[in-house]
Amino acid sequence: MQNLLKILLRYSNFLVFIALEVAAFLLLYYNNAYPRSSLLSTANDVVAWQNEQISDIRSYFHLRSINAQLARENAELRNRICSMDSTKHEAPIHYASAKVVQMTTDQLHNSLTINLGSLDGVMRGQGVRNEEGVVGIVRTVGRNYSVVLPIINTHTNLSCRFAKNDYLGTLQWDGKDYRFAQLADVSSHMVVNPGDTIVTSGLSPVFPEGIPVGIVESSVLKEGESYYRIQVRLHTHFKRLKYVEVVQNAHQAELEELVDGME
Amino acid sequence: MEWSKQIVRYVLVMMLQVLLFDQLQLFGVCHPYIYILCLLMMPITLSHSADMLIGAGVGLVMDVFCNSLGIHMASCILLMFIRPYLLGAIVSDKDRLNEQICLRALGIEALIKYVVILVVIHHLTVFMLAAWSWAHIGFVLMETLVSGLITSAIIIGYNAMIYK
Repeated sequence: MQNLLKILLRYSNFLVFIALEVAAFLLLYYNNAYPRSSLLSTANDVVAWQNEQISDIRSYFHLRSINAQLARENAELRNRICSMDSTKHEAPIHYASAKVVQMTTDQLHNSLTINLGSLDGVMRGQGVRNEEGVVGIVRTVGRNYSVVLPIINTHTNLSCRFAKNDYLGTLQWDGKDYRFAQLADVSSHMVVNPGDTIVTSGLSPVFPEGIPVGIVESSVLKEGESYYRIQVRLHTHFKRLKYVEVVQNAHQAELEELVDGME
Repeated sequence: MEWSKQIVRYVLVMMLQVLLFDQLQLFGVCHPYIYILCLLMMPITLSHSADMLIGAGVGLVMDVFCNSLGIHMASCILLMFIRPYLLGAIVSDKDRLNEQICLRALGIEALIKYVVILVVIHHLTVFMLAAWSWAHIGFVLMETLVSGLITSAIIIGYNAMIYK
């Protein structure tokens, strides 16, 4: 008996170890086999509250991916609207959601790079917009990325018209302020008021008709000139551009071929 | 060694674990369990059995946060069981262990050995018990390697900063 006690004392640490491990494995086993005790799980109020706080905080860090998801959804919905109301004379248009990976706004020849390329069906000359309005036109296409010339590039010309009376003009940029572009070719007999809405004309296959471009900020008609100088406040906020959509017109190649053939 | 200090450190490390490291989801293999820092650095002035009981408690609390009842508990008990034997094997000067286990007491070489061995044992146990099958052994080993490295680096780095 005394010997047994001696042995037990000698190995007491090991016995405690075994006992504790058995307890742990029993917990493990019963927790798997039966509905878990809510006190010893994250259903526990304290732990659940803590987790909720964390997920609240985490949701801020996930805003970017949520944004991306919403942008995709937007493109998808716009596609559906297009397929719903596309009549015979309108070309089928597909919108592809893209992320802006690089952008300049402070140069004369600004550019932006998006994360879609030829593998995604992007082609040179396709239009780029976001939910605010027109962004630019695809210039160079790589396999996975494309460079877009925004309308705030002195090389870019965009055919636009007044929403109120369909009068046409050409949108250009003077390289001064990324918030404003200039509308040229509007002759002096037109009445231009600040606040007039400018939209895309739909005359080129780049953009469908009626995508918002901007609002007339001011118009000046100098003596002896037959064209207005119109400042247009752009809808698109280029400084905070994050997600855009590429406008993929299924008939674009055919249309351009026809135009090229004429020249 | 003041135990109040140990407890404050435990609470802080546990908060860091739950609020930060449990939130990491890097490549699916990175789950560093830095909370064992407290267990590793606890002085060995208590009896072996008491150490294991503390380990069981610390593991159980972690289990509650991870919804993994029993897994961390079993791993921490094992960790605390092995700890004094390992210390006996790698530390020649026993007198230096009367204070808490830290860089100043062990020296860098022994500390690295001590931390890496125990962290790997603990993490391997946790991931094996969580997987509960040999089918995922490759993944478990990968998980142990990545997470164990990060945990070890953090614990050794903590020592290097505080106990120069």
